[in-house]
Amino acid sequence: MSLPLYYYLAIASIYILMTWALYLPYRVAHLHFMVVANMAISGYFGGYAATQWGWPFGAALLAGMLIGALLSWLVSFGIGDAPTFAVVIVGFTFIYITKTAIENWDLIGGTMGMFGIPMVKNLLLYAYLFVLVTGIFIYRFDHSRLGRAASAKFVDKDLATSFGVNTKHLGMFLQTWAGAIGGACGVFYAFFMNSLFPDFFTFHIIGTTMTMLFLGGYTTMWGPLLAAPILWGLPLILPTSIASWRQIIYGVILIVILLLRPEGAVTRQFIRKIQVKLKLVKLA
Amino acid sequence: MKKILVISIVLLLAAGSLWAAGKKEEVVAEEFVATEFEIPFLNCLTGPIASIGEYLQWGAERAAWEINQAGGINGVPVKVTGIDTAMSPEIGTVEMAKLSETALVAMGPVPEPVIMAAMPIAVRSGLYSFTATTSYEYAMQFFPWSISWFSPTDKKLPPVVTAWAKKNSGMKNVVQFVENYGAWPGMAKAHVIGLEAAGVNVLKEIEVPTDAVAFGPLVVKALAENPDGIIFAANAEKVAKIILELQSRGWSDNSKILVFSSADDGALYTTGGSNINGVMIYNYVDPGLDTPRWQAFREAFKADHDGMEPFSLSPNYYDAVYMIKRAIEETGVTGDPAKLKEERILIRDFCNNVENFKGLFFDWSNENGVPKDKPLFLFEIQDGQKVLVEKVVPTNK
Repeated sequence: MSLPLYYYLAIASIYILMTWALYLPYRVAHLHFMVVANMAISGYFGGYAATQWGWPFGAALLAGMLIGALLSWLVSFGIGDAPTFAVVIVGFTFIYITKTAIENWDLIGGTMGMFGIPMVKNLLLYAYLFVLVTGIFIYRFDHSRLGRAASAKFVDKDLATSFGVNTKHLGMFLQTWAGAIGGACGVFYAFFMNSLFPDFFTFHIIGTTMTMLFLGGYTTMWGPLLAAPILWGLPLILPTSIASWRQIIYGVILIVILLLRPEGAVTRQFIRKIQVKLKLVKLA
Repeated sequence: MKKILVISIVLLLAAGSLWAAGKKEEVVAEEFVATEFEIPFLNCLTGPIASIGEYLQWGAERAAWEINQAGGINGVPVKVTGIDTAMSPEIGTVEMAKLSETALVAMGPVPEPVIMAAMPIAVRSGLYSFTATTSYEYAMQFFPWSISWFSPTDKKLPPVVTAWAKKNSGMKNVVQFVENYGAWPGMAKAHVIGLEAAGVNVLKEIEVPTDAVAFGPLVVKALAENPDGIIFAANAEKVAKIILELQSRGWSDNSKILVFSSADDGALYTTGGSNINGVMIYNYVDPGLDTPRWQAFREAFKADHDGMEPFSLSPNYYDAVYMIKRAIEETGVTGDPAKLKEERILIRDFCNNVENFKGLFFDWSNENGVPKDKPLFLFEIQDGQKVLVEKVVPTNK
């Protein structure tokens, strides 16, 4: 495989996973930006464990997921059932705290960053296996009772509660899961890049993944899967002469999609239509 | 009859194949003649530091233009191609991966986040890239596939800070403002070494938050230490605002303020105005130099930038293009894609140990990718201009 394609696919896998990490808590209307902090913490942990303690990638990945899940789980006691706005503020705060802590911690490179994270053979394959497994779990969740409960909570929290949904536990579960995915993303990112820098994990990841989520469609898991590779690939294929118009092109696409399809490009109705066409389901 | 026909066809095909193979060998044996030397430049042409990217690009293209006017590199024209990473590490990786397959040599990436993400790919692919705007501490991570434009920070900065301290003989206690970004804390540490060498005590380091907009509390904290000197390692605009805040609280002796090189940017002068007259600043280039080459560069820059003076980093990639030119000419690099691997190494080894390179401002030599004898300049700011006070040549020893 050519090197440019390798890196395109590598970053695409990170964006798919990170957009899913946002998608999951958004199923209960939580914009859980803390996943970016999880990504940074686990990424640095994985990088440190590999360079200083000689941990293999698999162990670093597992530990990164556990750290991400644990941090999100602890925080979810406070924001598992909080309004969207509060979840957003907590997320921003955690990103800020994490970045400041990394910058001030010389042990992990401080403002200079971390160098020399080893290369891993077949890493791209592992990343897409992880995407596949995560996708299967999300698909199963979306089509389960819990998934329907999340949909009910997204529409009306009181209605969901009256149906017997424990909205706090549901929010905590999704935030914890998202934290684990964010943590895994950080470890994959560290091993793909072979170095880490505090500015890797800032608000640009939120901007990019939010665009992917809302353009692709936030009502199904397929939206991020479609939008992430396209939106990430767009700046790479634009000719240099119009590269300076990139932000405007993004903006126009975002406005057009949101005007024409407020739920994003891939909606549940759209998926249903495709399933009917492919005769995967019968028309009710 | 049928048998004869089949045998004839087989023989014809075999003869044809042999002829084609011979022809192919002839083509391979022909000497490769380059029609153009393309130097890709991984730069930030859009995004938060697009203005810096523009003047880096301008310097590189100016060098290519001058070289082409003078007949090119060994008679072959040179072209600098700007590749925009928009300061995105992710885009930087893919663009560097593209270059790693075909480029003879590269320039960039810019700045540190993209360097960190993209340079490991260059190292893995054996592509030599000019990281000419970052500090030694970043460049050395990727040796020998990168080049450091500066000496190690803890060697190059202390002498110029010592020189400043010695000019203010009564100065005994200093407070330093430091912003936590990239190599800046390391530069702040080097300032301390220089001050200690001059017998000056650093009372306190005040951290300047990256997102700070109000500086009153920071200045109060600094003045509470009762310093008689102030030194800065922070962003240009913040430095100017802090100086204004210091003056509003009674600070009057600007010569006892030293600003580091990374703040030698337009924002320092536009925000500071005449209030920063007398402030001392150090940098790697002397804009007051009176040589025809520098004056031509300066006038061309001003003509293309509404009369603005060239920024301190503008010459870096100008010099890099000339260094590549010299490497190609003196090592006999042809640009033949079939010899890509060995010609990359020829350029790398030449540049990493170049002797008496004629830069825009001064001549210098490298040793294992690190400059041996590049000077630093201490200036006094007067009406938006830098007036040379002292030239200092640090050693790497």
